Amino acid sequence: MRRAWKHSLVGCALSCSQRYKTWQSMATACGYLRKASMKSEGYASKADRLGAEIDITGYTPDRIRNFSIIAHIDHGKSTLADRLLETTGVITKSGKNKQVLDKLKVERERGITVKAQSASMFCEHDGRKYLVNLIDTPGHVDFSYEVSRSLAACQGTILLVDAAQGIQAQTVANFYLAFGEGLAVIPMLNKVDLPTAEPDRAALQIESAFEIDAANIVHLSAKTGLGINRVLPSVIERIPAPSGSIDAPFKALLFDTWYDKYVGVVCLMAIKDGAVRRGDRVVSMHSGTRYEVMEVGIMHPEQRPATQLQVGQVGYVVCNMKSVAEAHVGDTFHKDKFPVVPLPGFAPAKSMVFAGVFPLDAGEFDKLNESIQKLTLNDSSVAVHKETSAALGQGWRLGFLGTLHMDVFRQRLEEEYDASVLVTAPTVPYRVQYKDGTSKYIQTPADFPTAIEIQDKVDAVMEPFVLATLIFPEQYLGAMLELCTMHRGDIHTHTYLDESRVMLKCRMPTAEMVTDFYDQLKSRSQGFASFDYEDNGYNESDLVKMEVLLNGEAVDALAAVMHRDNVATVGRTMAKRLKDVIRRQLFDIIIQTAANGKVVARETVKQLRKNVTAKCYGGDISRKMKLLNKQKEGKKRMKKIGRVELPQEAFLSVMTGSKE
Amino acid sequence: MAPARTPLSLYVHWPYCSFLCRFCAFSKARVPAGGVDHALITRALLAELRTSLAPHSRDKELRSIYFGGGTPSLAQPAHVAQIIEQASRLVPLAASAEITLESNPTSAETDKMAAFKAAGITRYSIGIQTLDDGVLQRVGRLHSGAEALAAANRAASLFPGHVSLDMMFGFESQTVDQWQRELETVLAHANGHLSLYQLTVEPGTPLFRDIRAQRVKRNPDDTLALMYETAVALCRSRGLAHYEVSNYAASPESQSVHNIGYWQGRQWIGIGPSAHSRFIDPASGTCLRTVRIPDIQRWVRSCLEHGHGTAKSETVDDAEARQEAVVFGLRMLDGLSNARFMRTGCVSSGALSLAEYLRVNQVQRYLRDGYLRSSGRLDHLAPTERGLQVIDSILLDILP
Repeated sequence: MRRAWKHSLVGCALSCSQRYKTWQSMATACGYLRKASMKSEGYASKADRLGAEIDITGYTPDRIRNFSIIAHIDHGKSTLADRLLETTGVITKSGKNKQVLDKLKVERERGITVKAQSASMFCEHDGRKYLVNLIDTPGHVDFSYEVSRSLAACQGTILLVDAAQGIQAQTVANFYLAFGEGLAVIPMLNKVDLPTAEPDRAALQIESAFEIDAANIVHLSAKTGLGINRVLPSVIERIPAPSGSIDAPFKALLFDTWYDKYVGVVCLMAIKDGAVRRGDRVVSMHSGTRYEVMEVGIMHPEQRPATQLQVGQVGYVVCNMKSVAEAHVGDTFHKDKFPVVPLPGFAPAKSMVFAGVFPLDAGEFDKLNESIQKLTLNDSSVAVHKETSAALGQGWRLGFLGTLHMDVFRQRLEEEYDASVLVTAPTVPYRVQYKDGTSKYIQTPADFPTAIEIQDKVDAVMEPFVLATLIFPEQYLGAMLELCTMHRGDIHTHTYLDESRVMLKCRMPTAEMVTDFYDQLKSRSQGFASFDYEDNGYNESDLVKMEVLLNGEAVDALAAVMHRDNVATVGRTMAKRLKDVIRRQLFDIIIQTAANGKVVARETVKQLRKNVTAKCYGGDISRKMKLLNKQKEGKKRMKKIGRVELPQEAFLSVMTGSKE
Repeated sequence: MAPARTPLSLYVHWPYCSFLCRFCAFSKARVPAGGVDHALITRALLAELRTSLAPHSRDKELRSIYFGGGTPSLAQPAHVAQIIEQASRLVPLAASAEITLESNPTSAETDKMAAFKAAGITRYSIGIQTLDDGVLQRVGRLHSGAEALAAANRAASLFPGHVSLDMMFGFESQTVDQWQRELETVLAHANGHLSLYQLTVEPGTPLFRDIRAQRVKRNPDDTLALMYETAVALCRSRGLAHYEVSNYAASPESQSVHNIGYWQGRQWIGIGPSAHSRFIDPASGTCLRTVRIPDIQRWVRSCLEHGHGTAKSETVDDAEARQEAVVFGLRMLDGLSNARFMRTGCVSSGALSLAEYLRVNQVQRYLRDGYLRSSGRLDHLAPTERGLQVIDSILLDILP
């Protein structure tokens, strides 16, 4: 079970697991793009940095272009970026850059970009010199918050589509994000050298999905370099120069930050007006705090100090900021005593799924606490609340932007900080409206009101919804419609992108999506469907709390919230799953699932009658001891609820969505 | 008065079998087409014996010798005699030393039984496994149930009170009733000792592959537990006391001295391909665990060239020694005395008592629930029948 769940999360990022290897090599190629959270190594001494300061004051807005590349995962964004940096000499073609690869292990493994990055290039076009800034965007919609803030620093974007695969669901989501920002969108087709490429068909899909003219679309092969020389000219010609004035007071948008252990917080800013240089005193409009600027510069691709950053440019600012919490992404900065009208800013990242995180061993609480703090230093989009569970003790309830975000966080926690953690099944935030007019968000199923409370005090229970976009070959239309209906989905539209590809939009409860939806999508479409979603508000829903009792005692960490229609099925499935994952112990373990005060299902894990190795003589001793020590390790990974030992999988058995 | 000599056991691995059982995970090889080169194997064994026992000649005495395999009853009695004789010349044999030979009950081997007795064997162990001719054939054994009983009778007359019969339960499709009837028959032919093993599916065996490919079905765990319980009850009713997980004896004298040595942490030297040893190295004073080369030809070559075929030697540290003392001590219904635990063969870093070593809260719980029994403040710790049956679960809780 656990594997299935994990897979569904990983699956969100990897559109097709067979291509995983290819992606790793591509991720290698994009290594020059520094990973935001890992920029601490090799910070040069101050003297060195001052000596290397470059002067970019000659690059006025008309000589600057700020752009991003948006693409479905695996459509070649990183390879394209790599080629662009090579042709502009930012990195050499020696292949040395491949050693720098994606520094976050999870990013490397999954071929995804989690944090936004930026790199500056100098190039010549029609005899004039330009400073072109590539602002990278994460590909996955879980990180759409990151995408939108990256886009706010650009004036245009390249919409990169794989000529063989055509438009995928993430392409659509990212396009609308860019379109919503009013950016110039330049479609380009990548991988046209592949024998399976169908550029005309992909162009047609672009036209029908986005209603943009794809007649003179650029054909590329980022891998072979074909068409690369047309990319930057298109960017310069078709993307507008940034606006703003050098004479106006300094005004900048903070759009990304990371923590450097030597200098503190490093801020990436887009300069909207005026200029900033070392020694200036700047003010955060969000907090009113003053900072002295220690260093400014561009990402080239490493931090390269500059004498000054000015209107239209995008670069980093180091200003004595001690904690990432002070760096409010979307904040406007101005010079001390020269206030400006603030930029619109961003709404704070909103948690879409929640999960309980607990140390496997209560003695590890402090260590885990430190790990979580360190990780959230670089990822302020994780919402952190302390939580105490009767069953699991002290822990946290963490809010994530999506299930991939959650899984990435968990993996980073385990790998980078060597923490043994128990992560409970994902839940979505429910909203309860009380008769007295108050309302409350429920992040933990244990806090969900009981049937009696609902009857007496509650006016309405609401659950969050998403609008899902599915793109797939038409022969799977029946299967996809059935899948959506089965997950309490409402089909909004289905559109033919070309004669054989369908785009389906469907509104469904978020809770349905965080369970096995993605696995089902892939298996029912033999891997050909792609999927993306966006937040779509709340609706009243007939929800109930399902409790799990082990030997008569309710285990709060196993409680789940679900639609009343699913109670019988899910209750039975949950009890069966728990029976399958709970190992026999020296006493009977009775598992009950109950809702509305009634037992829905009951299973028994029978007492273990015999557990003893039959033969143990001289030659068997080493083997026996090895086995014993392995079993002891395994036991450490169990969570004890009273005397019942629960494996991690037990907590993931609690899935609230509809099941087949 | 000369200081008392420390007990030592000797294990001799004879690697060939005339047939290979589908469940067997021991190191063995089928008798080669041209027959076994008995002289060569014996020469190699004698060489390894000399090298390995010589360092122990001063302060040890041989409490037991065990010929295992493979099928050592395929060896020539004269060679067995040579090995016993050479061993006793290197390290003196204790007056009541137990010298066991494992055998298969084919008529050819039964015919050699008296010669083995003449060679010095004092205890005879017969691998009957089952009396069901159909099962015998399916698992690859080339003898019948009737032959097995005849061998048991012959052994009873030659080694009165010192015969051990090996049986297995849990074969595919075997029922609890069938097992009980078989055991009744075997009990009628028993003379001193029974070993009753649950059929264990070991990775790498043909049986393991059969089960994985679903060609053979596994008996449900609860059926196996019932068979075990049946064996315990039936043996008790016939006067055979349960003394270790799979072993039953008519009297303390009939218990296997050699095997008790393993469970009590006695030092032993193993010779022959793949044989293990565990002893305190007289030169360094550290506890060593060694394994011989498993491949027969390579082992022979090494013995003839270097005097031994040791493939690997590692130190057993105190933590391991203590853990082993508890794990193996609690396989016996007699359990483990604190005094013995504190003397545990290899402990060099100061003695630790059972009460200091074990997780006492957990021990208390199992004592209270009737899985363990003890005297004093853990002067002695032993499993009850009920506890022994699930001792692997208990160990995980009580070990630190």
